Amino acid sequence: MIKLINVSFSYGEKNVLEDINLVFDKGVTVVLGPNGSGKTTLLKVAAGLYKPSRGKVLIGGVNIWDSPPETTIPIRRKIVYVHEKPILLRGTVLYNVSYGLKLRGSDTESSRRKAMEILRRFGIEDLAYRNSRELSTGQAQLVSIARALAVSPQYLLLDEPTSNLDKNRRAILEETIRNLSDTIVVVATHDRLFAEKFPRKIVRLENGKIVDRA
Amino acid sequence: MYSMSIFYDAIAIALRSLAISGLATLLASTWCVPIAVKLSGTRSRVGKAILGILNASIGLPTVIVGLVLYLFLSRAGPLGFLRLLYTPYAIVIGQSILVTPLLTFLMADSLSHLKDTILELAYSLGATRRQAILTLLRESLPHIISSMLVSFNRAVGELGVALMLGGNIRGLTRVMTTAIALEVEKGEFELALTLGGFLLLTTSFITLLIRALRWRK
Ligand SMILES: Nc1ncnc2c1ncn2[C@@H]1O[C@H](COP(=O)(O)OP(=O)(O)OP(=O)(O)O)[C@@H](O)[C@H]1O
Ligand SMILES: [Mg+2]
Repeated sequence: MIKLINVSFSYGEKNVLEDINLVFDKGVTVVLGPNGSGKTTLLKVAAGLYKPSRGKVLIGGVNIWDSPPETTIPIRRKIVYVHEKPILLRGTVLYNVSYGLKLRGSDTESSRRKAMEILRRFGIEDLAYRNSRELSTGQAQLVSIARALAVSPQYLLLDEPTSNLDKNRRAILEETIRNLSDTIVVVATHDRLFAEKFPRKIVRLENGKIVDRA
Repeated sequence: MYSMSIFYDAIAIALRSLAISGLATLLASTWCVPIAVKLSGTRSRVGKAILGILNASIGLPTVIVGLVLYLFLSRAGPLGFLRLLYTPYAIVIGQSILVTPLLTFLMADSLSHLKDTILELAYSLGATRRQAILTLLRESLPHIISSMLVSFNRAVGELGVALMLGGNIRGLTRVMTTAIALEVEKGEFELALTLGGFLLLTTSFITLLIRALRWRK
């Protein structure tokens, strides 16, 4: 479980999150809100990528900004955040999807096998040996989601995962998320249709404040 | 009459030049890469000041670097006991210091475009600090190599350091630029022109490589 206690965040002078108290628990939580309301920032703070300017972030009960790396690395390795604008590394699609597994010390062979399996699930195994720079935006988004799923994270934070996906790929993603029964999933999205596909909790953000929960 | 022996002399000198300047660039990279990683995209005042100083010292006259190092390495100097003066090692060290501002600044500049994004991506997938930096270096490899090539070009074409620290000793520290200077002074243009051609070929080839790298990424 991810717990945010009195969390505020600012970029320099600009306050973007204000006094957020929130728990992300088993199942799917959808974060809604207009452009610039702070969804991306909230997810990055919850993923332990951005340090809050005030308040605490507890992941599995551990305060990740107040513990030594020996404690936080294993915890950080259970969380994956997927950027809304896909960021791919130089090299093939297969290299990208295996990247997270390699970070965790998997050997080349087994990480490739796992990566191929995920690519197949998304129906993009034919992209495996393509250069990551030569993908369409939607393909890049799929690859970055596949890369996250490859490490079987316990916490999966998806930022606008459907913004470039076609109907079929949305359905596959939907199905995949539904099957992640032991995973804590957080999705920031504008895509109401997609959000409505899950039994879910909703958090609505406006100007960096939570205005509604359901 | 142009004799083949001049050509062979020129080849030997050119190879020595390439080896010395290549080693100097590699040696400089051992400290320039970590400094560039640290300084790129820095928001701290000290970091920005250091970058400013590096930028300002890119055009440092080679004779100044040569002179200062000469004072250090000469018999009476603080490092005189190392007996490095007039050895190829002295040129390697001198050129590595000469290219440090250029190499560090170029790398820091190109890393700064990728740093935040790539580090954040690496962390988002569970990288340790070390792994994240290795990922950043891997992503920046074309930039790093092209910065090294630019620095190599500066090293291989400079005269001041090679002359003052190497002494232009035949078969030991004579490199393309020092040999050209000497031969012209003696009024013998054959070797000088041959070496001039080699030097031009080298630097043009490196420039082409740099362009190819820019184009590829
Ligand atoms: N790097 C940054 N520096 C300064 N301000 C930023 C930065 N990133 C975001 N902001 C500001 O923080 C606020 C929240 O941004 P955020 O990206 O979290 O919004 P969002 O809800 O994800 O928006 P969208 O729906 O467009 O993705 C915005 O007002 C934005 O201008
Ligand atoms: Mg956003």
